[in-house]
Amino acid sequence: MKSLKLISLVLLGAILLSACASGAGTVTSWPGLAADSTNAYLADGNSVYAVRLSDGVKVWQYPDKAGTPKFFATPVLTPDGQLLVGSAGTDDALLSLDPATGKEKWVAPFTGAKDKWIASPLVVGDMIYAPNNDGTLYVLKLATGEFQWSLPISHSLWGTPVSNGKLVFVTSLDHFLYAIDPQSHKIAWKVNLGGSVPGSPAVSADGSTLYVGGFTKKVSAISTADGSVRWTAATKDWVWDAPALDGDTVYAADISGNIYSFGAPNGKNAWPDNQPDGPITATPVVLSDGTVVVVTESGLAYAFDRVSGKAWGVGTNIGGKIYTTPVVSGDLILVAPLGADSLLAALNNGGNVVWKFTGK
Amino acid sequence: MWDLLLINPFTNALLWIYDVLGHNYGVAIILFTILIRLVTWPLNGQQLKGAKVMQDLQSDKEWLDIQKKYAKDKEKLAQEQMRIYKERGINPFASCLPTLIQFPIIIGLYQSITRALATTPLGLLQLARGIYPSLLNTSAIIPLNSHFLWMDLGRPEGIPFPAGFTVSFLPFGFPTLAIIVAITTYLQTKLTMPPPSTSNPKDQTAAMTGMMSIYMPLLLGYFALNFASGLAVYFVTSNVLGIVQYAMMGRVNWRNLLPGAKQPALPAGKKK
Repeated sequence: MKSLKLISLVLLGAILLSACASGAGTVTSWPGLAADSTNAYLADGNSVYAVRLSDGVKVWQYPDKAGTPKFFATPVLTPDGQLLVGSAGTDDALLSLDPATGKEKWVAPFTGAKDKWIASPLVVGDMIYAPNNDGTLYVLKLATGEFQWSLPISHSLWGTPVSNGKLVFVTSLDHFLYAIDPQSHKIAWKVNLGGSVPGSPAVSADGSTLYVGGFTKKVSAISTADGSVRWTAATKDWVWDAPALDGDTVYAADISGNIYSFGAPNGKNAWPDNQPDGPITATPVVLSDGTVVVVTESGLAYAFDRVSGKAWGVGTNIGGKIYTTPVVSGDLILVAPLGADSLLAALNNGGNVVWKFTGK
Repeated sequence: MWDLLLINPFTNALLWIYDVLGHNYGVAIILFTILIRLVTWPLNGQQLKGAKVMQDLQSDKEWLDIQKKYAKDKEKLAQEQMRIYKERGINPFASCLPTLIQFPIIIGLYQSITRALATTPLGLLQLARGIYPSLLNTSAIIPLNSHFLWMDLGRPEGIPFPAGFTVSFLPFGFPTLAIIVAITTYLQTKLTMPPPSTSNPKDQTAAMTGMMSIYMPLLLGYFALNFASGLAVYFVTSNVLGIVQYAMMGRVNWRNLLPGAKQPALPAGKKK
């Protein structure tokens, strides 16, 4: 009896210590979302799901059985029919899945990185540019996932790279925006933005300008030629993810929940003070009719008039917390909440919920 | 509420030390652990005194007599124990209460160390919200420089094996720090616990000591193996400080490190 008590006490201590230490190694995922014309692809928690857009039914789930990998990065659909997704786990694999079946396509996933994948990879031509949390940009062959070359950059790389066709632009938590020359495998230029940049830049249609936020309470327009700053526009708080570019307008949102509509040529904010509800980490999404959709940490989705900046209605309550940028496919706006009763919700253009996917 | 009262103040204090000391997170963890140890020093002192009194009681003749006499009458035994406590002015909870008060502080320390590392997007968002802007320039200190000695404090520690050599159950390399954690935990448990008393073979404290000296090093070593090495630095610092504190109070039992060491039996009724 006494031994039982002692063992119970030790076990209780172990459980308490486990609870204390859990924050050090395992954490909640950050859902990532992509879609083609038939399916949505959601990386959330320990799984990647393919969900049919027509009715919200699960098509496949990877891995088949509950596994150890965790997913932070947004899946990427490639022009040659692959679904790339980086994982976080013991081998931190970068995988290629078949979007139709969820089966692995490469002979073996890429496991050469030293840390987890938070950023999504960028595909340019027949190459994959994949920034890792270990501070290195890995370049792989698109068809096979074979390692080609790598470039140690700096601190953790969380933002998906963008390209203007000549250079690849990578943001870093080390406060810098880097321009990488894929030909020379070297850094062409870098610019100090004054604070960490967890999100991606947005590149203008002509490839001459990057628009980037970060932890300095401003959005900057940067020349892709040499990294010179064209303008900066103040925000009230940090801009977590990439601004959205629509013609001559740059939409951005900060983690205090303010939304901005900057003129791309000059950085002048056209909207009045606009703070719908709750912090915003996701990139605003511009629909084909010009409506700007914003999701908040409070679990709501809002639509705004592009000219006046006025919200339509009171917002649609999805539930949970929404950090992930919505994805538009056809007539549907896909939203991936965290900690809600569903993993994915599809809204129509009127903001009404069409279906919800719970993971089953 | 937990965040507001404990985690956020701890995290800000930790980051303030980090900022003042030239952005070395390893040194900040060590100094912050020392600071917390100093703050909780009086509580530790009370705990030690309480534990010593209870340990001494286990060898006391009158105490042993009533254990034997009322072995089959638990109610009477409890009454007699309470009488002895009252007569001698002993508070049986004197060693537990300081531990209970310290426990949230230790948990808070753990959590603030891991929170400041912010190795994921949600972690970073949570950290950003908890920082006091009047105390710290958040933009300047994020991201933390997590490199300390040979370690990345945000990742499990391991010295890489030579090329081509892998061990499946050691994915991060040779776990130097986990071994140091296990050794220092073992030393602290052994050195700071009273040796088993020969006068009372049913001594519960001794039984607990024996069990703790086996399980705790394994448990903390396992944590050090799998979690961020910043935590392991805290474990090692805390263990070393624990030994130093006990040594300064004259309570370290070096004899415990000798195999088969026993505390000499005391004459009947004699109080230590």
